[in-house]
Amino acid sequence: MRVKKRQTKKLLITATIIGSIATSTVQAANWLMLQGTEPAGAAARAKLWGFVQAQYQKDDSDPNATGGYIPPKLIGPNLDSQSAFNVNRARIGVRGTGMPLDSNVNYFILAEFGNNGITAPDGYEAALTDASVTLNNIPGARIRMGMFKYPGAEEGLQAIHVFDYINFTTVTNQLLLERFPQSTDTNSGAQPTPEANMAQYSRSVGAFRDVGVQVFDTFKVNNWEHSYAVMLGNGNGLNYGDNDDNKDLYLYWSSEMVFGGKGGRREGLKLFAWQQDGTRTNAFDKTQEQDRTRAGLGFKYLSKPFRVTAEYMKGEGMIFQGQHRPGHIFNNEEASGSYIEAGWYVANTNFEIDLRYDTYTRGENHPTSATNDESRADTMTIGTQYHFNKKSRLNLEYADRDFESDTSVPHAQQKDVGGRLAVQFTHIF
Amino acid sequence: MRTFYKSLVLLLAMAFIFPVSAANDFAEEKIVIQISDPDPLKQTQVLNVANNLIKHYGKNKVSIEIVAFGPGLRLLFKENVNSDRINSLTTDEVTFSACKNTIAAITKKLGHAPVLHSDAKPVAAGVVRIIDLVNQGYKLIKP
Repeated sequence: MRVKKRQTKKLLITATIIGSIATSTVQAANWLMLQGTEPAGAAARAKLWGFVQAQYQKDDSDPNATGGYIPPKLIGPNLDSQSAFNVNRARIGVRGTGMPLDSNVNYFILAEFGNNGITAPDGYEAALTDASVTLNNIPGARIRMGMFKYPGAEEGLQAIHVFDYINFTTVTNQLLLERFPQSTDTNSGAQPTPEANMAQYSRSVGAFRDVGVQVFDTFKVNNWEHSYAVMLGNGNGLNYGDNDDNKDLYLYWSSEMVFGGKGGRREGLKLFAWQQDGTRTNAFDKTQEQDRTRAGLGFKYLSKPFRVTAEYMKGEGMIFQGQHRPGHIFNNEEASGSYIEAGWYVANTNFEIDLRYDTYTRGENHPTSATNDESRADTMTIGTQYHFNKKSRLNLEYADRDFESDTSVPHAQQKDVGGRLAVQFTHIF
Repeated sequence: MRTFYKSLVLLLAMAFIFPVSAANDFAEEKIVIQISDPDPLKQTQVLNVANNLIKHYGKNKVSIEIVAFGPGLRLLFKENVNSDRINSLTTDEVTFSACKNTIAAITKKLGHAPVLHSDAKPVAAGVVRIIDLVNQGYKLIKP
């Protein structure tokens, strides 16, 4: 009992110290603060904002021996053909402080009207992606409740409208962007185009979001900003309710040496690490449960004209097996991957050159096959951005992809995955 | 000794006739900037204007007072994200005035008095302060 008391005292002292070095003026420091808080004393009652992303993508992959295409060879979210124009994101939201005189409470609401993995499954339907309230009353422990981006990998946590590429890396798309099957979902083999119909999940992707409560804050020490977040969520993506009693725990830490600027393109060197632990119920057999863990670390360096980002992540359980195979996602496989990307802002122009290499390996411990039964995806993406102004830009990128598997059947499907061209216009308002 | 007393009396008389103000009496320009708007961008704009005036004229040649009232008083809240800029402008002898009427109204709404920046000087009424300054030769700017 005395030990417990001493521990409680230590915790209280630590919390007090943390609270005392916390500066309420820290804001726009990182994604946690940018998305979860408003600038103290200077926030609007209700700021209307949003963005539109319109794109064209063309895939150069060849079909398998019988003329069928698997999802990586088709354009999402519909996965029917190899080229498509699409308004993939059209989001509109409101954020601010309900009562501008009180900076202790702020809110964030955002809805998705574009055609993507959130809205397209089971027929197009617009969806709310964020709805949260943050309480800033406790120094060093802000509390955010509702539906919002959980603390995690940089590629998922960052604001998508300032993402420097059009498509996610394979590791983020397959390992982190969670899919949620329903008992009525069925698998499909590779199909010929048109109307390949490879999108077999009928529920929205998780979109790196969850419904829950997060405690977080940022502390400024000289030029460094240290941030933490602890979140407890349903582990059920964008679905409002929970489908089981299991909860996901998210842990996040970042330390950033700030060079200058503000907002999503603030210059600095950020180091970060994160972990997620949860358990999923098998949609096809509700008596079965499977742990799902993800973890990663990385850094981001931005000092114009140069930018470098690298992340490594690994996971176990519920490893995605393709958008056409929802029946195979309940597994205890392992997977890992990483990426490194660099950007160069061309001096005295509005152009930016981007280069990214990403790699992903899944099925590292496939239970039903021989050892070394792995699938690997390596992608080199070269892109350019033209910034018309701070709110409008054009992205052009080409991804050279090399997919392979140790076993013949999946290898036959993946070996002809080829390049992909994508053009996207983004306008933020 | 008589000369000393005479000088003292003269100085005291001058002090009553020409009351000392916070303003820089050697200033070539006297500017009062009004902030009464809830728009957060206005806060930045007001501080930018003050900064640009100091850059243009030099801090010894311009006298600047920023008067905040109504929703604009949020600029002078202690927690305001611009407080570092206010500190910096204060060292450049910019004066920040906070309307007491607004403070009273906010106190009623919040249930407690707002905590203001340590350099904010309460004035009876923001709008009256502006009129007084204009009568003293200040030029009013409302960005």
